[in-house]
Amino acid sequence: MNKSKFNITPFLFIGPAVLLLFVFSFAPILVSLGISFTDMNLSGLANWSQINFVGLDNFIQLFQDEKFLQAMGNTFFYVIIGVPLAVASSLLIAVLLNFFNNWVSSTFRVVYYVPSITNIVAIAVVWSFLYNQEYGLFNYLLSLINIDSVPWLEEPVVARLSLILLAVWKSNGVSMLIFLAALQSIPKIYYEAADIDGANRWHKFFKITLPSMSFATFFVTVTTLIGWLQFFEEPFVMTNGGPLNGTNSMALFIYQEGFQYSQFGYGAAASFVLFAIVIVATLVQFKLRKTD
Amino acid sequence: MKQNKLGFLLVVMLGAMLVLGACSSGGSSGGSSDEDTITVWTMTPELEDFVKEYEDESGVKVEVQAIPWDNAHDKLLTAVASGKGPDVLQIGTTWVAEFAEAGTFLDLTDYIDEYPNFNPDNFYESAVETTKYDDQTIGIPWYVDTRVLYYRTDLLEEVGYPEGPETWEDVKDAATQLAARGDDQYGIEIPQVDQNFPFMLAWEHGWQYEEGEGAANFEKPGFKEGVELHHTFFEEGMAQLTEGKQLYQAFSDGSKPMFFSGPWEINSINEQIPELEGQWDVHVMPEAENNNSMIGGAHWTVFNNTEKVDQALDFINWMADPETQVAWYDTVTELPANMEAWEDPKLAEDDKISTFGEQLESTQAVPVIPEFETMAQELIDTLEQINRNDADIDEALKEYRNQVSSILSK
Repeated sequence: MNKSKFNITPFLFIGPAVLLLFVFSFAPILVSLGISFTDMNLSGLANWSQINFVGLDNFIQLFQDEKFLQAMGNTFFYVIIGVPLAVASSLLIAVLLNFFNNWVSSTFRVVYYVPSITNIVAIAVVWSFLYNQEYGLFNYLLSLINIDSVPWLEEPVVARLSLILLAVWKSNGVSMLIFLAALQSIPKIYYEAADIDGANRWHKFFKITLPSMSFATFFVTVTTLIGWLQFFEEPFVMTNGGPLNGTNSMALFIYQEGFQYSQFGYGAAASFVLFAIVIVATLVQFKLRKTD
Repeated sequence: MKQNKLGFLLVVMLGAMLVLGACSSGGSSGGSSDEDTITVWTMTPELEDFVKEYEDESGVKVEVQAIPWDNAHDKLLTAVASGKGPDVLQIGTTWVAEFAEAGTFLDLTDYIDEYPNFNPDNFYESAVETTKYDDQTIGIPWYVDTRVLYYRTDLLEEVGYPEGPETWEDVKDAATQLAARGDDQYGIEIPQVDQNFPFMLAWEHGWQYEEGEGAANFEKPGFKEGVELHHTFFEEGMAQLTEGKQLYQAFSDGSKPMFFSGPWEINSINEQIPELEGQWDVHVMPEAENNNSMIGGAHWTVFNNTEKVDQALDFINWMADPETQVAWYDTVTELPANMEAWEDPKLAEDDKISTFGEQLESTQAVPVIPEFETMAQELIDTLEQINRNDADIDEALKEYRNQVSSILSK
């Protein structure tokens, strides 16, 4: 066999894909890395000669910008509470659904999946009504058992938790499907063997089910973590970052700087900070998995 | 062997051509290529049918592309970045500075004498002010917009203001009495996210923004008085701080009998709460030292690299005509920028609309500087700190001045 032919064929196959990936993914990342070192704004966009190189100024300014630091703190708050909650609840739903194997299972699979494919704006309208402090359903239900009205979206910490609740509800569908697929691919013989050994339900869950799903769990955790670090839609449509900047996330901050105020350089710098955090968080997870 | 390398190259180049081809499609010049067609970008979809009359008169085909306000900013950004835009475009008054700085528009200064309807004397002075940036005139006013007080006549009569409150003292008095009616009853709705409202309060206390002075502007006493007034309504429970009921519901059940809004609200109230007919009215802004309201609205501009300047200007000339402006008011209730149009009985004899006409006599424009948007947003955050977080007003304003100087120095 001709050696060089052997070498070139795979490249021919992946060439177009790599090229597209480069043009639409890597090149924009590189360009925005370049932009993050400049003071590019709207007039710079129209006339490139007005763009100045400012070195690390944007980054220095970012870490002195109270609003950005607050957004970063909020994002960590979302991640620390949201990720475990989202992973655990979708796992729980998947296990419960797997328990039944009839119409109940398929009906609820649809019920839990629907939020994931519903338009976020429609969701925001409905949830704004639910959360409304005056006539929202949640406060009405609480009033029935004599609990004072909760300022769902009006107090920074409560508002963050409200958004987490909404996001967990919305994101459960996809993770649940992945868990369900993993659950169904666990060979039955393990459970049969455990039955013979006299293991109870908890033993089987912790010794067989969870370990067999470790890859699915890892995958869900990584994607969920990345998703929550880029938390954007919920604060964007529900609170626009308020009250008192209490629900602003890093991704929303980037949007505000970049597209509302047209500070492209500053926005690009912020997005690189976020990029770095996402990469580090993901690497840490891979590292932890290896040590398993 | 050589052939294979060639093949590889070929595939790569084909791929590149495909990709680049996809990026560059979309026409080589601004607007449409046909000589007798102009493209117009607007944020009001009704314009599409409205221009039929002009098409019949002039024989020029007008391609109207309606962009929702929410997407308009992004869409304009793309047009600026690529240099490919329409021939004529509508621009909101508050976006003038930002996009003019980026050189989006053709300078119309030299054309003003050529078209009779472009005469600045035809329009409200404060509207013309917002068409100017850096000694250029970048647009011709199309419609204007201002804010007035909407109030419930029956409820205000009960507290002694059947004709509506004249001054801010009256408003405070009425609102205090109305808020005392019980729990969940308020006197007035004070906008918390409206960028213009805090500036209106400051103007009414004699404050003016001078471009040369930068952050020092916000040290002038009138500005602080405006902020204090804003805070008073929340501090004393006259206005609700939280989101609360939907405004029309609160207006209709009487829990918020006063609010500030623009002309479009007249139709909305008539449509959505028709049962309130005869129980509400509009009043010009309450007075402190003056009763200046903001002027907003939109202008017609010409995109900088269009090849059809004459056609574009002719279209704008038609849109600026008093008769067209009355017809446009008839179509969507947007207020004419042309003062002659206001003499038409349709506007002059409508009580509510003529209140807007009266208010337009005392309006002013927010500063036409590119940094305004960021400055105003910071101010809203500052007010939030004061109203929700009990921040000290002096401290908060000092912090705000620091923010402004860093925004202006960027």
